[in-house]
Amino acid sequence: MPDPVQEGRSETDETVFGEIVSRGRNLLKCIQCGACTGSCPSGRRTQLRVRRLMEKVLMGFEDMLNSDDLWLCTTCYVCFDRCPRDAQPTSVMKRLRNIAVRKGFMKPAHQKVARLFCETGHLVPINDEVKAVRKSLGLSELPPTVHSHPESLKELQILLDVTGFRRLIG
Amino acid sequence: MTDYSLFLGCIVPNRYPGIESATKMVFNKLGVGLKDMLGASCCPAPGVVGSFSEETWLTVAARNLAIAEENHADVVTLCNGCFGTLFEANSTLKNEEEARKAVNMFLSKTGKRYKGSVEVHHFAKLIYEKHLDQVKQLGGQSLTGVKIAVHYGCHLLRPRTLKKIDNPEKPGFVDELVHSLGAESVDYRDKHMCCGAGGGVRSSNLEVALDMTREKLENIRASQADCILNVCAFCHLQFDRGQRELAEKMGLEYNIPVVHLSQLLGLAFGLNPRLLGLQAHAISTQPFLRKLAEVSSR
Amino acid sequence: MKGEPLKEPPKEPVKVGVFICHCGSNIAGTVDVKALAEFAGGLPGVEFSTHYVYLCSDPGQGLIKESVKRLGLNRVVVAACSPRMHEETFRRTVREAGLNPYLLEVANIREQCSWVHMNQKEAATEKAKALVAAAVVKSLYNEPLEPLTLGVEKSVLVVGGGVAGIQASIDLADQGFKVYLVEKQPSIGGHMAQLDKTFPTLDCSSCILTPKMVEASRHENIELLTYSEVKSVEGHVGSFEVTVLKKPRYIREDLCRACGICAEKCPIKVPSEFDMGLGERKAIYIPFPQAVPLKYTIDPAHCLYHTKGVCRVCEKFCPEKAVDFDQKPVEVKLKVGAIILATGYDLYDCSQKYEYGYGRYRNVITNLEFERMVSASGPTSGQIIRPSDRKSPRRVAFLQCVGSRDVNSNKYCSRICCMASVKQAHQVKEKDPSSDVVIFYTDLRCFGKGYEEFLERVQGEGIKVVRGRVAEVVEDASGNLRLRYENTYLGEVFEEEFDLVVLAAGLIPSDIKELRTILKLSTTPDGFLAEAHPKLRPVETFTEGIYVCGAAQGPKDIPDTVAQASAAASRASALLAEGMVSIEPITAEVDEDRCGGCGLCVQACFFNAIELEVKEGKRKAKVNQVLCKGCGVCGATCPSGAVKMRHFTDEQLRGEVEAILSTVRR
Repeated sequence: MPDPVQEGRSETDETVFGEIVSRGRNLLKCIQCGACTGSCPSGRRTQLRVRRLMEKVLMGFEDMLNSDDLWLCTTCYVCFDRCPRDAQPTSVMKRLRNIAVRKGFMKPAHQKVARLFCETGHLVPINDEVKAVRKSLGLSELPPTVHSHPESLKELQILLDVTGFRRLIG
Repeated sequence: MTDYSLFLGCIVPNRYPGIESATKMVFNKLGVGLKDMLGASCCPAPGVVGSFSEETWLTVAARNLAIAEENHADVVTLCNGCFGTLFEANSTLKNEEEARKAVNMFLSKTGKRYKGSVEVHHFAKLIYEKHLDQVKQLGGQSLTGVKIAVHYGCHLLRPRTLKKIDNPEKPGFVDELVHSLGAESVDYRDKHMCCGAGGGVRSSNLEVALDMTREKLENIRASQADCILNVCAFCHLQFDRGQRELAEKMGLEYNIPVVHLSQLLGLAFGLNPRLLGLQAHAISTQPFLRKLAEVSSR
Repeated sequence: MKGEPLKEPPKEPVKVGVFICHCGSNIAGTVDVKALAEFAGGLPGVEFSTHYVYLCSDPGQGLIKESVKRLGLNRVVVAACSPRMHEETFRRTVREAGLNPYLLEVANIREQCSWVHMNQKEAATEKAKALVAAAVVKSLYNEPLEPLTLGVEKSVLVVGGGVAGIQASIDLADQGFKVYLVEKQPSIGGHMAQLDKTFPTLDCSSCILTPKMVEASRHENIELLTYSEVKSVEGHVGSFEVTVLKKPRYIREDLCRACGICAEKCPIKVPSEFDMGLGERKAIYIPFPQAVPLKYTIDPAHCLYHTKGVCRVCEKFCPEKAVDFDQKPVEVKLKVGAIILATGYDLYDCSQKYEYGYGRYRNVITNLEFERMVSASGPTSGQIIRPSDRKSPRRVAFLQCVGSRDVNSNKYCSRICCMASVKQAHQVKEKDPSSDVVIFYTDLRCFGKGYEEFLERVQGEGIKVVRGRVAEVVEDASGNLRLRYENTYLGEVFEEEFDLVVLAAGLIPSDIKELRTILKLSTTPDGFLAEAHPKLRPVETFTEGIYVCGAAQGPKDIPDTVAQASAAASRASALLAEGMVSIEPITAEVDEDRCGGCGLCVQACFFNAIELEVKEGKRKAKVNQVLCKGCGVCGATCPSGAVKMRHFTDEQLRGEVEAILSTVRR
């Protein structure tokens, strides 16, 4: 167990704790009751322990950024709903993920899917089999989305550029 | 006649177009107009893109909302993920000036602008709230004798404080819709539980996602339901494809037909099952259609 | 009349003395008190101006008194802290100096000046000058006023017959005051009567309560009004006019001997409220065997005669002929000097916490239901059983904080549930030492005398405590419950099976919305009755003469309830013993020559303190000096300027504004 970073608990932007709390202070009210972990459908079958993760953030740890645990959450929001202090653990989870990705901790499978998004504008792009089904249903072969509007795809790609997304996902 | 901007997302148009076709026909029967959202993209998926960059997620969502604003028509979604993204993004952009400014600055590079002039609706809630009487008229009691396991999914009702649609621990409105069609909405263990697909888990940890789906399928099988009814395209995919994956990877077979609410309504309204795309599922819907035929002939 | 120029000062030469307080460095650290005193000395009407380090001190007050006497001052301005702090003090000082206390004026140059402008010394001093100038002008027009003194009725109304109300009643009655104890249930006793054993001593609750209940019923100074509710309260401190509605029992209380034959014969069974629905009573019933008064009551909602016009078997068999279906509600009018609210608590409705399955799963019960089960005279004769199959449970779980410490229900802690569960866990283990008992908690609050020691003892008996708020409860076919939780000390998740689950339901205030409206009582954000000051005035309300005690003010255990009840009785008796109450004369006054009888003031008044009366054929407004709070709404509303607000006249207010403006524009 690494020592908590001495300044890790300070609320500056340089610390994980500081960045997470700057986006929302609800986490500070956590009393570590464990209702989140007890509710977590993923935790029942994986190593994800939501409460523990929250405590690590509060205490200034940063090692969780590199862990698989972060990515075992389905964002079902049951913990969020049931938390008696409204500490909003799901939001913390997402913010942790954002920081992890920024620091280069991104799963290859996610990079793959993110690239599909950058290339096609859809996380799940169409294929020939489905085009045929569309036709048989009397629908247009390509849906009226970016798939059939190349100029819109370009617009989207500009946004993915200026927000730094393309660079982010590597 | 109020028109809505139909937001298709990814899975509906690109994997289960039957839902798209069913929706169009059902809304037509209800006398509700749907406008295409030309050039819309992925919503973007809240647990995936939102996990990588909340800023990008908000910006892309804002672009989609801007398209609806250009339609001058509120958004209606067919997937809880799309609903989660567009509803939350809309709420954030309306209430947080800083965020709105930042996003509009990005959007200006594409000549678009978010104004905050539309609302975002989930099709299931919209139909329940505004068209329940018509549903009863068009399809009341047409599904009598059928047992349905309703799966609400996660992002329709949660977080409760934001969505304020129904009590996520004990929701009722989809069960009521099912009941109004004459079918029985069966109770089953852990009905409120997630299907396992969201948050990027399906893409990066498929076994974990499938294990959750497996648990749900066990519970649904125990309830002896004739089908799983969902209101979310991603849950639809996870239950449908997921059953095939569970069979292939783990030799577990459930063979429970999976039906999206738009398709169920189509069936109740007497529309041709083929036009609802029910033949294009991974798990055959034949047993369900046979049961329907059987009970309606009695 | 509105718009008239400032009147001339009164004929009698006015000599104002201005006293500026340093308040140590609280004021002097920011405001230049010396310059302020000099400035004040130059104001019209000011005969003497000085400054002193602590005016509220003995020498400070002595300075004021001595200056008044020596210089024949007839108006005093004290520039110091908020009048809420020391207006009373300085009024007394001025009175001791021989002046009417209302000739004093206080300028707040601390809370409203030095404390809020600490880094702006010059500006603060200028502001202080303006405040003092205003106070001086006001003081020129201050008139001597006499408070109204009224007699105080030497009787008290106590609302609520639980242990708090009973204790307060006995305390007051012992001092010779007459007490009317009103209770809406057919018997006094409240929730304490439902308890089996009390923590930490494991005293039998009924055994320690019933003597008090009997004392309350037998005391010559206590009149019990059970099965009754307060319908209206008029009046004011010292003289409340209360109307109590006695609901009809349909039984002649003077004849009923409580033999019980009527209940034996009654064909209608109803879930017993006292037994939390676990047991039954008849439509004609006594709530519990030790009820006080021990008289039967007929429940009209279930009685066959009341609902369908048939039966009347009880009447037929009653040997005393005590049944009287024609009995009507009776209005009792009381006049009391003080009112004590002891309305107690209700339990949080656990069915709202859907994920725990209360109300759906048979073997999930609340702590109060457990009390009734474990009571020897309760619905299961003291057997702890699973409601689904009446078998003894082998594995019992206690879930804490249900409806407490939770943004989704009540944010506050209900204080007693940790101890209640520890006690109940002990009782389970005592009856069946082979049972497995676990308390699932977030914190274990054992704050009172002997409480921590009790926990230690109970742990020693083999009760397990697991720190983890249970996430959800799932029922299986056998009626057993599976609990999903994280043991936070281990950091591991579990799904564990129990056969009985007891929810530590939180406390919520009793539903007294009607009563609160009648008495205009406020609540704190948690919904409990508001005390006048959370630290220093825990049993008084914002309304003089109305006191609060027990769980009505906030969740608490029996020792604290009894202590608070005695405290409320003590405060009430101080009022009654004095025998008199002083009403401040800062009220409205009607100039009948100006009054046109339009009645707008009557409509505007929040306190029903002004009404129109006919005098010599003309309608004139008249102020009830006792009800008037001096709020000023009538004065502002009156189109003819006929209503004068004593001590805050239009001239005074305008004079203050003009003084401020002219000071800052210098």
